[in-house]
This record gives sequence, structure tokens and C-alpha cells, in this order.
Amino acid sequence: MTTSQPTISTNQTPAGNAMIELTNVGKAYRTDTIETLALQKMNLTVPSGEFLSIMGPSGCGKSTLLNIMGLIDEPSEGTVSLAGQRIEGYNGNAIARFRNEQLGFIFQSFHLINDLSVVDNVELPLLYRRMSGSERKRLSLEALARVGLSNRATHFPNQLSGGQKQRVAIARAIVGKPNIILADEPTGNLDSHMGDEIMDILLKLNEELGTTIVMVTHDERMAKKTHRLVRLSDGERVS
Amino acid sequence: MFKNYLLLSLKVLKRKPFYTFVSLFGISFTLTILMVISSMADASIGNNAPMTDRDQYIFINYMERSVESIDTIYTIDSVLMESGEMRYDTTTDFNNNNSNSTNNLNYKFLDQNLRTIGSAENYTFLSNNYQTDVYLEGRKINLRTFYVDANYWDVFDFQFKAGSPFTQEDNTQANQVAVITTRAAIEYFGTDDASVIGREMVLNERVFRVKGMVARPLMDDQYINGDVFMPLLTIDARQLAQEELYGPFNAVLKASSPAGTKAIQEELNFLAENYPLPPESWYKQIKLHNANFFEYFAQSIVQEEDAAKAKRLLYIPLIILLLLFVALPLINLVNLNVSRVFERKGEIAVRKAFGANPSDILWQFIFENLVLTFIGGIIGAVLAIGLIKYINKNDLLSKVSLSLSPMVFVYFIILIFVFALLSGLIPAYRMSRTNIANSLR
Ligand SMILES: Nc1ncnc2c1ncn2[C@@H]1O[C@H](COP(=O)(O)OP(=O)(O)O)[C@@H](O)[C@H]1O
Ligand SMILES: [Mg+2]
Repeated sequence: MTTSQPTISTNQTPAGNAMIELTNVGKAYRTDTIETLALQKMNLTVPSGEFLSIMGPSGCGKSTLLNIMGLIDEPSEGTVSLAGQRIEGYNGNAIARFRNEQLGFIFQSFHLINDLSVVDNVELPLLYRRMSGSERKRLSLEALARVGLSNRATHFPNQLSGGQKQRVAIARAIVGKPNIILADEPTGNLDSHMGDEIMDILLKLNEELGTTIVMVTHDERMAKKTHRLVRLSDGERVS
Repeated sequence: MFKNYLLLSLKVLKRKPFYTFVSLFGISFTLTILMVISSMADASIGNNAPMTDRDQYIFINYMERSVESIDTIYTIDSVLMESGEMRYDTTTDFNNNNSNSTNNLNYKFLDQNLRTIGSAENYTFLSNNYQTDVYLEGRKINLRTFYVDANYWDVFDFQFKAGSPFTQEDNTQANQVAVITTRAAIEYFGTDDASVIGREMVLNERVFRVKGMVARPLMDDQYINGDVFMPLLTIDARQLAQEELYGPFNAVLKASSPAGTKAIQEELNFLAENYPLPPESWYKQIKLHNANFFEYFAQSIVQEEDAAKAKRLLYIPLIILLLLFVALPLINLVNLNVSRVFERKGEIAVRKAFGANPSDILWQFIFENLVLTFIGGIIGAVLAIGLIKYINKNDLLSKVSLSLSPMVFVYFIILIFVFALLSGLIPAYRMSRTNIANSLR
């Protein structure tokens, strides 16, 4: 299903190099009457293996920034490079393949597919790879084990607590062994105990697998546990 | 790879029993309705025996006699012009006392005038059908009886289950033989096997020997819907010799090709226009109402004698109604599909975020529709077959039997599939192009 496109090579981790590089990135949302500048002149480099957190008041452009890093939103200006590759077009199979192999997303509201069982949700990224069903199953169970949910594989999302849902979402984000994980307020909907659990999983992931993680958070406590903190205000970096 | 899509759609459908049920219900219901309608249409106007050559027939079912007394009114207008006086004479004709009457024809008229229609390849004369009560061992059975000439069996291709048609000789010698339908055989003899051939039937106190047995036609048509057919010339000779134009007889002419029917109609119109009525007759003009199959079908449904008008009256509303019948369930199906895709906006965005490209999304919806249509199609077919069998068995449409054509079924499956596909794919295509971030907000 995904046709191989040689324009973007994958899985080359430039050790110590920039995993994510944004240069002069700007994003404007235009409606009929008003134009919102969600991001302006954003320059940001995330080295490979870094765990970066982003903070800032609501509406300052944190999600926009993360979406642009994750190639699910297109910047109005500036350039995005991931894993040493400059991203050119945003439609087409190459970009889908890039997302599939390099990126894992974790959302504040989980975005699990309610009609699919936990294990089917987790294996979703692998569906878009050439891989046997049994291999997919094996990797999905492995990812579920990593988040401590092996015994919930055949449950459905509506049978799980918020913290469990987010762990399923993490398993889904890591099952394809991406180089980058982007988490948009992953603990925002959870109580502090569950939030700590999620944070521990992410820290361990970063430590053990060297996955580059960018996390948006409102919680100073969480941010302190990461390598670096970037603050945004009104679409601009303030630190 | 397709296995994934297939498994995925089964999973989704299983997880959404209500949605799946509604979709399946929609699809199978649509299909059942379409099947039954088309089967009814086929039974009444399809190319079925004994009217396999239905487009080659011209039916003469009415004669109209008319008289017009024309009054002429002279109006004298004078207009004064600049140059002097000018005079105009205006003559206005208007018809008053336009009087006419219509009826079936008499045998003698047919015999003398319709044997020489050059454009016709074949023709048959037949009586109206009569309801005949037969008393048999204390039981009363009602049979529709026809008197037909021997050509009848060439003009119409009845399927003989046993025996044979009666011959020209049987007719001219007024032999008391009969061709009966399987229904009549069962009613009268209690069996429809070949043993009924040669047995005797008492009809109107006369004894007829069964010569042939035919299958009962699908359609309930006034030219073929008899139970018992007897030679025309077994009718009382006085009736046959009547000079009166009106009588209880009809004629069907057959052209060698569908296009040939026009020539027959022209010949018949010419014959009628030039038909010499005796000077003492009050009516001055006759008209032979002749119609091809579709005109005649329309006439008999809307009870309108003018063929063209009958056709308009019947077919325009019928086609609109049919389109509505077909369109409504299809629109429903489309609506169901479109809303389903939009409901799954979030899922589509998540899949795309994790690497699905637009074609993956499209395939997923194609498979879901495929699986649904397939299951719904099977249910629909079973329902349609059951319903048609039930209708036929219980004679719910009086004498009409419904036919089941596998090809029609295949066409409808394709039609429904196309609709299911388009209605799922067009929104899915749009969704697969939308901005992921916006859908996940
Ligand atoms: N699709 C959109 N259309 C118009 N404005 C948008 C859209 N998405 C985000 N914005 C605006 O851009 C700004 C930044 O939004 P966002 O990145 O979601 O902020 P944050 O995640 O920091 O709360 C906000 O003012 C928001 O209203
Ligand atoms: Mg946000």
C-alpha cells in the first residue's frame, strides 16, 4: 500500500545531530475576516535523543508548533527538517510513509478508535507497513507490555480508565519504533498519579530507546523532569 | 494486504451492530423492492411466452363509429378603410352533434376485411373471454373460455405441456376440441399430467375433448388469459353470420419485425377511412383502434381508447413513480454512507497521522461497502425470492405471476454497489484530503 519513494530516506538517526529543525517557521490561520498568527519566526532545533518540553499559556501556539513538527499541519512559511530531511510536499505517499516510520503521536484526548480493541488500536501504524499479521501482533503485544497493559489487549477503549487509554495511545505511538514522539499535553486529562505514571513511561522510553520526545505540558513539575524547556507566548519563543 | 482491509471492515461492522443493521436493512430492503418491481414489470410487459414477439403485434380491440353534422356559419364583416369600403367574408365551421360509439367487432367484419392486410405476416381472430361456470360433481368452477382460430397458436407461442394445438381443420370443421391451461386441468381433472389429453370436458352443455395443455402465462392479458381455448367456429353459426359491425370479437395481427407494425397500422387506418358504410347507416365513418403492445398495455391499464393518449397517461407517471421508487432507497443509502464517513472524521485523521495515505483510507471504505453490499445483497435476494414466491403462491396479484430473473438481480446488485461505493468514496476522498490537525482538534 505505501509505495516506496526514494526522495525521503528513513531511519537514519543522525547521532547528536538535529532530529527536528525548524527555521523561521510561521503559521497563519486565515478565516474570511481575520488572520490569526499562531506562530511567528520560530527557530528551534531538537537534537536526537532529547526530551524537550514546551510550555506557554493557552492559545499561544503550542499545538500548532507540535503539529508542524509532526507533519500533520503545514507551515505558512519557513522550513521543517526531520531526521536530516527537509520536508517539501505535504500531500502524497512519501509524507505518509515518513509519518509512519519516523513519528509517533500522543494526544491529550487520546484519539483511540472506539470500534477497535486495544491491540487493534496499537497495531494501527503497522497496518501501513509491509508486515505479516503475526509479526504485527507480536510487536503490538510487546508495546502493550512496555506500558504495562498486556492484560487489556482484548478490551475496548470504553472499558478503560483515562490513564489506561493514554497508555494504549503511548503503545500505539511506540509500536512502530519511531525516532520522534510528539505528545500534546499527554497528562492534561489525567490526575497527578496517572500523570506521573505516563511521565515515567515517557522518560524510560527516552532513556532506554533514545527516542526524541517533544512534549507540550501545563505542568511545571513534569517539565522539570525533561532535558530542556521552551516557553512560548503569542506564537513566539520567549526562552 | 486486502485481507487486512477485509478483517478491518468485519471488525468495524461487528462493533457497530446498530449501524450495520441499519445499513444491511437499507441495502436489502432497496434490493427487495427493486427486484419485486422489476419482476412485476417483467411479468406484465416483458418478452415472455406466449408473447415473446410482443413488439410485432398490432391489437385491434375497438371499432369506433362516428357521425358529424357540420353547420356552417357565415359572418359578414365590413371594415371601412381609408381608400374606401372593404368587405370580408368569414366562414366558421363548427361541429355540433358529433356523435360516436365504440365496441368490439363482429366476426363477419373481421372475416371480410382483415384477411387481406398485406403488411401482416400472420393474424388471428378471437372472441372476448367469457366467464364460464362449470358444475362438476356438485362443485362449481369458474373458467375463462376463449374461442380462437387455429392461427392463434402460431401468433402466440404458448408452451405446450402436453398434446398439441388444434388445427385449421379442427376449426373449419368446428370440431369440439379444446386446449386448456394447467390451471384448468387441475381444477377440472385434478391433475396436470399428460393423462388429461383426450379426456372430455363439458362446457355450456357441450362436450369438448382436450387436445393440448399449455402452461399458464405470467401475464394477465385479455388476449391470452384464458383457461380453456376452443375453435372459433364452434360458436353458434348465427352469431358468426351477423351483419352488424359490432360484436364480441377481436383481432391480433403480427408483423415480421417490430418496425413492420407501423405499416400494418397505416393499412388499418386506410381501410377504416375508406370503409363504405351503407347509405342508410346513421354513422358515416368508422375508425379501427389499433395499438402496438405498449400502447395497448397502456390502454388497458388507464382505460383510455386513444393509444397515444393512453401511453402518455400511463407511462409518464409510471416512469416518474418508478424512478422515485428506485431513487428513494438509493438516496437513503447514500445518506447513510455519507454520514457514516463524516462520523469517522477523527478515525480517518488518526490513521493519516500514523501513516495511512489517501488510498489506504479509500480502500478501507471500499471494503466496508463491499462487505455490507454483499451481505445485504444476499439477504435482499432471499427476501425478494421469498416475497415473489409468496405472492405467486397466494395469487396476491390475481392472475399475474411474477418471474425471477437472475440477470435483473445481478444488475441491481451492481447498481447498489455503485451507489454504496460512490456514497462512501466521495466523502472518504474528501476526508482523506483534509488537514489532519484540524480534524483532530
Ligand atoms: N484551524 C484554526 N483556525 C483558526 N485559528 C486557529 C486554528 N487552529 C489554531 N488556531 C489559533 O491559533 C492559535 C494557537 O492555537 P494552538 O496552537 O492550538 O494553541 P495552544 O495549543 O497553545 O493552546 C490560537 O489563537 C488558536 O485560536
Ligand atoms: Mg493545544
